[in-house]
Amino acid sequence: MKKRFVLLLAALCLLLTFGSALALDSDNPVLLGYVGALSGDTALWGQAGLNGMLLTAKQINEAGGILGREVKVIGLDGKGVSDDSVAAYKKLVEEYGVCAVVGTNFSSCNIPIASVADELKVPVIATAASNELVTVDADGNLHPYSFRLCFIDSYMGYLAGSYAYTELGLRKAALITDITDSYSTSVGHYMVETFTGLGGELVASEEAQNGDNDFRAQLTKISAAQPDVLFVPWNYENVALIAQQSREVGIECILFGADGWDTTELIELSNGALEGSYYVSRPGFNLPEAAAYFDVYAVEYPNASKETECLYGNDGVQWIKTAIEAAGTDDPAAIRDQLEATESFDGLLGHMSIDPANHNPSRDAAIFRVDAEEVSYVGIYEP
Amino acid sequence: MKILLQQLVIGISIGSIYALIASGYALVYSLLDFSNWAHGEVCMLGAYCCFMAVKVAQFPFWLSCVLGVGGAVAVSLFNERFTYRRIRSNGSPNMFLMIAAMGLSTTYQNLATVIWGGKFKQMPKVFSKSSLNVGGVFIGTTDLLCLALTVIVLVILLLIINKTRFGLHVRAVACAGRTAGILGVRIDRVIALVFMLAGALAGLAGILYGMKYNVYPTMGNVGLKAFIASVIGGLGSVPGAIVGAVLLGLIETVASGYISSGLRDLISFSLLILILLVRPAGLMGVDVQDKA
Repeated sequence: MKKRFVLLLAALCLLLTFGSALALDSDNPVLLGYVGALSGDTALWGQAGLNGMLLTAKQINEAGGILGREVKVIGLDGKGVSDDSVAAYKKLVEEYGVCAVVGTNFSSCNIPIASVADELKVPVIATAASNELVTVDADGNLHPYSFRLCFIDSYMGYLAGSYAYTELGLRKAALITDITDSYSTSVGHYMVETFTGLGGELVASEEAQNGDNDFRAQLTKISAAQPDVLFVPWNYENVALIAQQSREVGIECILFGADGWDTTELIELSNGALEGSYYVSRPGFNLPEAAAYFDVYAVEYPNASKETECLYGNDGVQWIKTAIEAAGTDDPAAIRDQLEATESFDGLLGHMSIDPANHNPSRDAAIFRVDAEEVSYVGIYEP
Repeated sequence: MKILLQQLVIGISIGSIYALIASGYALVYSLLDFSNWAHGEVCMLGAYCCFMAVKVAQFPFWLSCVLGVGGAVAVSLFNERFTYRRIRSNGSPNMFLMIAAMGLSTTYQNLATVIWGGKFKQMPKVFSKSSLNVGGVFIGTTDLLCLALTVIVLVILLLIINKTRFGLHVRAVACAGRTAGILGVRIDRVIALVFMLAGALAGLAGILYGMKYNVYPTMGNVGLKAFIASVIGGLGSVPGAIVGAVLLGLIETVASGYISSGLRDLISFSLLILILLVRPAGLMGVDVQDKA
C-alpha cells in the first residue's frame, strides 16, 4: 500500500513537472517588439538583432516561457532612419500592444524614440545607440522609459583617445567625422578631447557626410598634416572606403575607430587597407558563453554572418525577462522600474549594472586590432 | 600647391565618371526632351551584372565587364521598348515619361535590395598598387583606368554622333523628329539605338564606379549629380555634358577640400539654379526653348 502510494506520488510529481512545461500559455503571450534596420545598407545589423531575439525567445519558450506565458517577438523595419524607426516603435506599442521594445542600434533613431517612449510609457532598450541623448535630454533630464545595453559615446571616445596616446604612444592625431550622424560627431569629439587632454596634438580635422563616396578631398588635407593616428568614428562601409582612399593619397598612419567597425564585413571590404588599425567595442564573441550561443545561432540561421548585434538581441530579451519575473507582471511601468533598478545583469555581452540617474550601463570594453585576414582581440581595456 | 594639384586630380577623376553618365542623359534628352531618371539605376544594374559574372560565375574580369555593359544595354532597351515607347505611342505628354522613369528608378532600386541585399559588394582589384606618386601628387591607378576609358569612349561617341549616318539620323531626330520621320528616318529605331548607346555608357560608368566605391543598390543616386552636370553643360548637348561633368567634379572637390563638405551639395545645387536663371541653355546647350 505504502509502495503504491509512493509510486502514485512520483507519477503525480512527473505529471506536474511535464504538465507545467507543456502548459505554456499561448493565448496570453508576452509580446516583445524589435525595431531595427531590416532593409538597406545596415540591414545585416538589424537582421542579426531580430534573429538574436527570435532565437532567445524560442529557447525561453522551450524552457517554460516567462511566468508560464509564451514569448512572442514582433520585428518591424525602422530602415536605420529616425522617422521610420519612430513610426515602427509607435506601431509596436499602439497596434501590437508590446510590453517592451528592443532596438535600435542607431543614436539618431533612438534620440527621437526616447521622447515618444516617455509619452507612450513603454520601455525601449537601445542596443548599440551610444549617444548620451538616448537616455537623457539636452538639459540632462532623464527619459524614464529609455534604456540602453551599450556604453556611451563619451566612454568609447575616452577609451580610444586614451589607448592611442598612452598604450600606442601616438602624439599627432587627425579626425574625420560624418556631420550628419550624431554618433560620429559625438565619439569623434570625445576621442579628440581625451587625446589632446593627455598632451596629444590635433593636426587636422575634416568633415564629410553619409552618402559620400569620395573622401579624398578631405584626406588630402589630412595627409599633408602627417598625423600619427587618424580617428574614424564611422560605420564600417564608409570606414572601408576611407581606409582605402587614405592609403591612396599617401596616409600611412594607424586608423582608430569605435563600435561602428564591429562587423565581419570589415576585412573583406577594406581590402587590407586597415591592417594595423584599432577599434574599441564590447568583448562580444570572445566570451565563451557568447561563442557557444553563436554555435546554436549558426545552426538556426546558417546564412547569417557573425554580428555582435545578435548578442544584443539576446541580452535585450533576457534583461526584459529578468525584469518581468522580478515584477511578477508584464506591465510596462513595472518592467521600467525593474530595468532601472538593475544592479547586476549577466548577459552574453558580459556583466553590467545600470545607473538609475541616467540609465547608462557600466560594462567592460575591449580593444581590437585589424590584421590582414582577421580582427584580433587585444583585451579588456581599463585606463 | 601640391594639395591643390591633388584636389584637381581627384576632381577630374570624379568628373570623368559623371561625364559618362551625363552623356547618356544628354543623348536621351536630345531626342525625347525628358530627363530619364532611371538612368542611374541602369548604371547600378550594369555594375551588379558585372559583379555577378566575376564573383558568382567566376568569369574573367574583362568578360564580366562586357556582360555588365551588355546587361545595362538590355535594361535600357527594355525601358524604352516596354515603357517609354508605349507612353509615346499613346500621345501622352512628356511629363508622363519622366514620371515613368522615376517609377522605374525606385522599382530597380528596391528590386536590387531584395535580390542582392543592402550590403556593399566589392569588385575585384585590377591593380596591385592603389596609386602612383608623381612628384608628391598621388594618382589612383583605378582613376587612371577610368579616365583613359572615359576619354576613349567619349571620343568614339562624339565620332559616332558627328561622323556616321546613324549620328546624322540622331541629330535629325533631335532637331526635328517629325520632319526626319517624313524624310525616311525610322524614328523608333533611332530612339531604341540611342537608348542602347546610353545603356552602354551607363553600364561602363556603373562598373567603373563600382570598382572605385563598391556596388550597392543606391549607387544609382550618382545619376542626380550627372544630371546637374548635364544641365550645367546644356541639356541635350553631349559635349556640354562632358564639360559640365568635369567642371562639377572639380567644383565639388575644391568645395569639400577648401570650404566644407557640408556645403558641397549646397554649392552644386546653387550653381544649378544660377545656370538655369542666367544661362538656361547651359554652357554649350542649344534650342533650350524646345527642350523644356
